[in-house]
Amino acid sequence: MKSKSLRLFGYVRGAAALLVAFLVALALIFLSTDEPLTALRYMLLGPAASWSKICRVLAYMIPITFTGLGTCIMFSANQFNLAGEGCISAGGFVGALVAIYCPMPTVLHQIVCILAGAVIGGLIMLIPGFLKTKWGVSEMVVSLMLNYIILDVTMQFLTQNFADRSQGATMTFPYKSTAIIPKIFEGEQVSYGIFIAIAMAVLCWFFLYRTRWGYAIRMVGINKEFSQYSGIKVGAIVILCQVVGGILAGMGGVVTQLGYFSQYRWTALTGYGWDGITLAILAGNNPIFIPIAAFFVAYLQYGCELMNTWTTVPVEMMDLISVVIFLFFAADQFLSGFRQKLVVRETQKELAEKAVQTGRKGGEEHV
Amino acid sequence: MSNILSSILTTSFAASIIRIMVPILFAALAASITEKAGVVNIGLEGTMSLCALIAVTCAWKSGSTFVGVLGAMVLGVLLSLMIGFFAFKFKTDIILCGIAVNTLGEGGAVLLLYLLTGSKGDTQTVMGAWNLPRVTIPVLSKIPVIGEIFFTNQSVLTYVAFLCVLLVWILLYKTPLGIRIRAVGENDHAADSVGVGVYKIKYISLILCGLLCGMAGAYMSMSYMTMFSKGMIAGRGFIALAAQAMGRGEPVGVMLSSLLFGFAQALANYVKGTNLPARLVEALPYVVTILGITIYAISTFNKARKIRARQEKKEQKKAAA
Amino acid sequence: MQNNEYVVGMRGIDKIYPNGIAANQGVDFLVKKGEIHALMGENGAGKSTLMKMLFGMEQPTNGEIYINGEKVAITSPTVAIAHGIGMVHQHFMLVPSLTVAENVVLGMEPKKGKLFVDFRKAIALTEEYSKKFNLEVDPNAKVMDIPVGMKQKVEILKALVRGAKILILDEPTAVLTTQETAELFKELIHLKEQGYTIIFISHKLKEIKEITDRMTILRGGRSMGVYNTADTSEQEISRLMVGRDVILTVQKEQAQPRSPVLQVRDLEFTNDWNRKMLNKVSFTVRKGEILGIAGVEGNGQRELVDILYNFSKPDAGSVTVDGKSTLGLHQDKLRDMGISLIPEDRMIYGIADSASIEENVISDRFDEKKFNNGPLFNMKAIHKESERLVEEYQVLCKSPQQQVKMLSGGNIQKVVVAREFSSEPALIIADQPTRGIDVGATEFIRKKLVELSRAGAAVLLVSADLNEVIELSDSLVVFHGGEIVAYFEDTKKMDEMEMGEYMLGLKRQSPEEVRRVVHEK
Repeated sequence: MKSKSLRLFGYVRGAAALLVAFLVALALIFLSTDEPLTALRYMLLGPAASWSKICRVLAYMIPITFTGLGTCIMFSANQFNLAGEGCISAGGFVGALVAIYCPMPTVLHQIVCILAGAVIGGLIMLIPGFLKTKWGVSEMVVSLMLNYIILDVTMQFLTQNFADRSQGATMTFPYKSTAIIPKIFEGEQVSYGIFIAIAMAVLCWFFLYRTRWGYAIRMVGINKEFSQYSGIKVGAIVILCQVVGGILAGMGGVVTQLGYFSQYRWTALTGYGWDGITLAILAGNNPIFIPIAAFFVAYLQYGCELMNTWTTVPVEMMDLISVVIFLFFAADQFLSGFRQKLVVRETQKELAEKAVQTGRKGGEEHV
Repeated sequence: MSNILSSILTTSFAASIIRIMVPILFAALAASITEKAGVVNIGLEGTMSLCALIAVTCAWKSGSTFVGVLGAMVLGVLLSLMIGFFAFKFKTDIILCGIAVNTLGEGGAVLLLYLLTGSKGDTQTVMGAWNLPRVTIPVLSKIPVIGEIFFTNQSVLTYVAFLCVLLVWILLYKTPLGIRIRAVGENDHAADSVGVGVYKIKYISLILCGLLCGMAGAYMSMSYMTMFSKGMIAGRGFIALAAQAMGRGEPVGVMLSSLLFGFAQALANYVKGTNLPARLVEALPYVVTILGITIYAISTFNKARKIRARQEKKEQKKAAA
Repeated sequence: MQNNEYVVGMRGIDKIYPNGIAANQGVDFLVKKGEIHALMGENGAGKSTLMKMLFGMEQPTNGEIYINGEKVAITSPTVAIAHGIGMVHQHFMLVPSLTVAENVVLGMEPKKGKLFVDFRKAIALTEEYSKKFNLEVDPNAKVMDIPVGMKQKVEILKALVRGAKILILDEPTAVLTTQETAELFKELIHLKEQGYTIIFISHKLKEIKEITDRMTILRGGRSMGVYNTADTSEQEISRLMVGRDVILTVQKEQAQPRSPVLQVRDLEFTNDWNRKMLNKVSFTVRKGEILGIAGVEGNGQRELVDILYNFSKPDAGSVTVDGKSTLGLHQDKLRDMGISLIPEDRMIYGIADSASIEENVISDRFDEKKFNNGPLFNMKAIHKESERLVEEYQVLCKSPQQQVKMLSGGNIQKVVVAREFSSEPALIIADQPTRGIDVGATEFIRKKLVELSRAGAAVLLVSADLNEVIELSDSLVVFHGGEIVAYFEDTKKMDEMEMGEYMLGLKRQSPEEVRRVVHEK
């Protein structure tokens, strides 16, 4: 039943959502600055203005690609776990400690750091996964609380045990040079981490659509009862998808730390977890589209930052834009009247063809 | 340890529990009403944040804290209606709508704050300090201990919050609207088939939720603190969700679970002054929340089993007799 | 202009759902005042859709609706109620935790003062109507505690209290015992005498003949015309409904039962509301035979199936398959042991609706070696398997990649059956295998079921369709009140009338007679 015109409709709807977001942004820009055109130019064209700016957009993509992938996997199983936010910090922090305190040859060092972050992310996600499976505790509430707990715990260790007291701000000692993920281009911000991120997107696609575990995750997401009845271990899958989500977020934290920073200094939640949710929505939970969505969001985010720097429009504009895109993209019934008309037209066409073939008539009265 | 104990056992500690639990209670009651109507609103956090800002702003513009509270309630309703609009009209997943409102609460509040004051931190410098009237109830405050805790020098909204526990209970169980709300939450087809507008009821529940959230926000910026500052809600909206779950959406249950969280937070605040690890202690309320909803979930999980065990015991007794 | 003799006039109704399914095409439906009018048709013929539009729950894509000769737009149930239309749905529209009286007045609660519900008045109102129309209910009971027959009365009361003059009853007898049905018919005739118009949806010929004045027959979403019930023979109705003579007998050879496969002994189960749903149930299903379970729905059949597939735990008793206990095993293990289940509710248990046909047919075997290459799926093998099954089970679809929810009910059930029958099952539990699907698919599934049993599978058939259990089963037990009340070793020698008495609990066999079904000495 999915015809060409219906697929086309999907694109039209996506474009309409973007348009609405753009109009909202436009209205706010006019409200908050005297030079709206300059602001707009910075927002829309700024990030593409130079090579180094493009590299910066690419660098921004890295953390949100990871949280986006994690969210994809968890949402695919219909688990509304929102702890990607915390896991990226936890993973980043643990990876950072390994990068500072465990001397190792390079390459191996990065790998061990990333693994350490992955493990801690996975371990953390065991908590909401286990509680959900065992007693049906809402993974959403648990994961929200975990974000705050993770922040408090990492801050405790950072301030009390691992802080470099010679620095003005709260931060660790610098990473060992063996652990650094090098930049792709000298002097530009994007590191080789971008390749890791894209490779993970491909891997995640294979995981979700070409392995038995991914299949089970998707079936559990579509229909839990059906999965149970088919012999899928639903409880295990509910845990698995969250652990994978945690692993991805944890990895993302490390890759971001080692590729972008030279010491750990996240003293607040990063917001990458929430961006990850936006990406999962934009990508329709399909990992392969995550990097594209990430580029889009990173571009806009950086555009907003540039606009913030050069005009009086605050960077928080980005939140508003993403809220609007988010709401309309996830809106099933947005422009649904239009869609219904399309379906009716197609069906009537089909029926007319059939009627010609069979020549049936109905509904005479016999009384 | 002993000096922690001695500071806990003071009336000022008890009063601080009340102070902390009030916004959570408001928001948890708000969540209970929507939950009974089958609406999962996780946008409490963002709603509270924006309402807190608007409360101070309206108070500052009008010179009246009362107008501030009113403004917050109006905004609370508008935001809740927005969730309803997207969830019911456009069929956006309601959890995502909630997340959107939370994002709005975080970024939008700062944006608005900046547009209003030129600052991205707080309202203090431009708008000054705003504090809702504090009231000491004449006779009741003379009751030893309890009078001092509950009825002395509390914000007006504190009394309103406890009054709301009663009002929400009456609403849910004694009024036509309450019956309809519960009917919609339990079997919306049934409600629909007798002409109870399901979406109308859901919207009404969201409006009530918005009113309560507005008061929660106003309390935060005009009683708990005397200004709006960035990030001041600090997860209270989420904690309220947990309190609602633990209290099964029953007003009294919700009050007791809010009390528990209030206690955990107050404890964390007191312990902060000691030599215990400060940041770890700050995590306490969140840990308590997870423990709380887990214990609640285990208890409902085991309920069915317990009922059966009780029956078996009865039968054994019968057999023995 | 409309002719005023019709209280309901639906003209040229088209309904096309968003997924493209055309449920009604050019349907005319005209009902006279004060008649009982049957709306007939097979499942999926579009009866419910048509009535939902009359009651404002769906909107017609094209067409007009007239009430008492006046053109109306019924945009919601509220509007329908205002026009004096009431509907009793097949699945009851009641709120379990509210009382009967609260359910009756829901949406029009009497008030005390301006704000509060007057509970006493609500009860008085319920009692008043209950007496007036001879519909006996307990206004104070919570709906979750009352029996099915009473729930239906509550539904009718709800409509009457709201001033309905036109009552739509959607398959009202589907859940009732014969006695309850007789009682309902008496009540309906009583209503008709008082000038009420009743639209009666059903596909049971006998009932239609017994109670209705005229009928409209739907087939495949189109109207086959309007007839006077008295002038139309059952054969003619059946021909109009299905388009050919219904084949009532299933061709099958005599069963050759061999060793026992499923052995259920002294099973007991009490539900959450403290009702004993299964009481000392024992039976055996042997290799190569079909054992049917007949009975009015709600007499423990569902609970039995849930326990057999470990969706709930029994209080006592044992279940073994091939001598091994299955209680507490994960469904994964059950499938390894060769136990298949066609679930009663296919949309909940049977399929993942937004997944493809392919993904649905491999859900029990996707982790088998032949479908995996190391960690990756062997997509070639999976495509081959799904193509084979789609062909063998005649699933009508564009390709195995099509979403299951785009298929018709019968084809969805074929997807379920394709999966369940193709895993070389030793035991098949078929719970209402042909409910609500078209004749073609029904026949296909029944034939396959017989084929498999003759090839050596043990089959436990649970069905509320009397014709189906009798025709399909080799031997049969009757459930009543959570107990087996009768065992018929050979279904060929059965008398339907006698069985009805067992089903209603009017008669029961001795424990010794029933005990024969365990096939033990």
